[in-house]
Amino acid sequence: MSLETTRLRLGFIPLSDAAPLIVAKQQGFFAAEGLDVDLVREASWANVRDRVAAGLLDGAHMLGPMAVAQALGIGSDPVAITVPLALNLNGSAITVSTAIADALRELDPEGMRRRPRTAAALGRLIERRRAKGLAPLTFAVVFPYSIHNYELRYWLAAAGIHADRDIRLTVVPPPRMVEKLAAGEIDGFCVGAPWNTWAVKQGLGEILLYASEWWGATPDKVFGLTRAWAERHPDTLRAALRALLRAGRWADAPENRGALATLLARPEHVGSPEDVVRMSLTGSPPLIQGDPVSDSHDYLVFHRYAASFPWRSHAIWFLTQMVRWGQAPRSADFAAAADVYRPDLYRAAAADIGDPSPEADFKTEGLHAAPWTLEDASSPIPMAADAFLDGAVFDPDAPLGYVDAFAVSRVAASR
Amino acid sequence: MRVLIIDPDEARAALVAEGLATIQPLEVRRARGVESVEADLAGFAADVIVVACESPDRDTLEGLREATEVNPRPIVMFVDRSEPGLAQAAVEAGVAAYVVGGLSSDRVRSVLEVAMSRFTLMQRLRVDLAKARADLASRKTIERAKGLLMKERGLDEEAAYGILRKLAMDAGRPIAAVAVDLIAYAAVLKGGGQ
Repeated sequence: MSLETTRLRLGFIPLSDAAPLIVAKQQGFFAAEGLDVDLVREASWANVRDRVAAGLLDGAHMLGPMAVAQALGIGSDPVAITVPLALNLNGSAITVSTAIADALRELDPEGMRRRPRTAAALGRLIERRRAKGLAPLTFAVVFPYSIHNYELRYWLAAAGIHADRDIRLTVVPPPRMVEKLAAGEIDGFCVGAPWNTWAVKQGLGEILLYASEWWGATPDKVFGLTRAWAERHPDTLRAALRALLRAGRWADAPENRGALATLLARPEHVGSPEDVVRMSLTGSPPLIQGDPVSDSHDYLVFHRYAASFPWRSHAIWFLTQMVRWGQAPRSADFAAAADVYRPDLYRAAAADIGDPSPEADFKTEGLHAAPWTLEDASSPIPMAADAFLDGAVFDPDAPLGYVDAFAVSRVAASR
Repeated sequence: MRVLIIDPDEARAALVAEGLATIQPLEVRRARGVESVEADLAGFAADVIVVACESPDRDTLEGLREATEVNPRPIVMFVDRSEPGLAQAAVEAGVAAYVVGGLSSDRVRSVLEVAMSRFTLMQRLRVDLAKARADLASRKTIERAKGLLMKERGLDEEAAYGILRKLAMDAGRPIAAVAVDLIAYAAVLKGGGQ
């Protein structure tokens, strides 16, 4: 194998889940593959999308749904995108201002003590505000095509709240979420690490729900690039994937999590206080200021549970939510969405470094309420629970049936 | 035509607005950030929104497309097929644009071209300014090093400069870099560098 190029420019957004890229660069995994990588911190997801499309970036830290949307020409011109690797599972959360959290506790003290918390109390608060003629609550997500948008909408809808009708939903970049909450411009948000923890640490917000409480192993960021670039640089891409896989493994090791927090916190990376970054890496962050950090390394997962495998069923799931919320038509091409994800490229790179890979490209989501073992793999892989909060099961072979089964959706509202 | 410019860099926004003044009829409004964008969009009804790529407000604009009737579409959707290269050039120049209404491709193009040329001009001015500052700083450093040599070794100006130049040539480094070292060493020898 010979590398078609050794210089790469990769973009990222200041979030803890950019860790595999940052670690691969700073811990020398890219260099060990003979790659000289420039990491470019970008200001917006739209910029990442457009700069990858224009060839100004060779690849980037991307929102999984954004990669699928771009490939299908939803919200931008279609550009063939390839996703050969996922960057993480979990890591996002839904947070509300402490004032809203206190109001919820007053309305439903029992429900606020239960885990996972449903949005039922929030539904009652919304009704009460409506009766008083108050303005709707405002929530923010990070991008229209993001797991955060679908996570918040799903959780609200499971309690009968329609995000387009009952609240006001806006888009705010991750590093600005907390200042907007502090300023009272938004009442809550769904964002990735470390920004929920930052709100809790300052006593401004309370976490209502971890992503993993909504969907056991929530797909999130991916490594994406144009298909044209991937096809022109197969060996360079394979080398980059090996480096990213090793970086993910390094970032997941409990003994490295402290050093990872130090690295990520630096101003040129995430740029937030180190103790805040640490809280969602060495454990699960406290829900409320003053609570202890619980002892778990599953709040943000980079490598375990086949976290970096690009499941084609994830790409299809993202498109089901685009249809559910009116971003894509029912005639959307589910097969084309699945083709954006390239488990074949992943398996080749994983085999090079002796990492086990799943044999199947698709999996049914929501079947496991407890940890399980994936036997259908080059060697058995321990997996995390993947159940949804409402017990729904997603069969990637029947995406429209899945969409139609939701009681609350834009599709249902227009029927 | 109404154009809204969103740019945290006010000088650059002014430059773009001034450039756009040549396109008639035109109304331009500037905003530093997204705080006022929704209000501006409602009240001002912009046809085109020009956004600095470095502004994080782009994602908020993309969010507006779904949440409101304003529905700004990114320029990459508007021009890409008919005019390949234009969107790429805009992204390269650091300009993003959103088209709100059914504006003709020509008019969008003229706005975008002005914005791109002004962004590029500003970038060049900034580079020139930075270089001028660096030149000035290095000239001052060389003057100081020269002064040190003249004082410590009792040399005239020309001889002192000759020593600096020879040191630089021997080391294969710029004179300013050698001058910085010399000043630093002198400080250490005098005990001032501790």
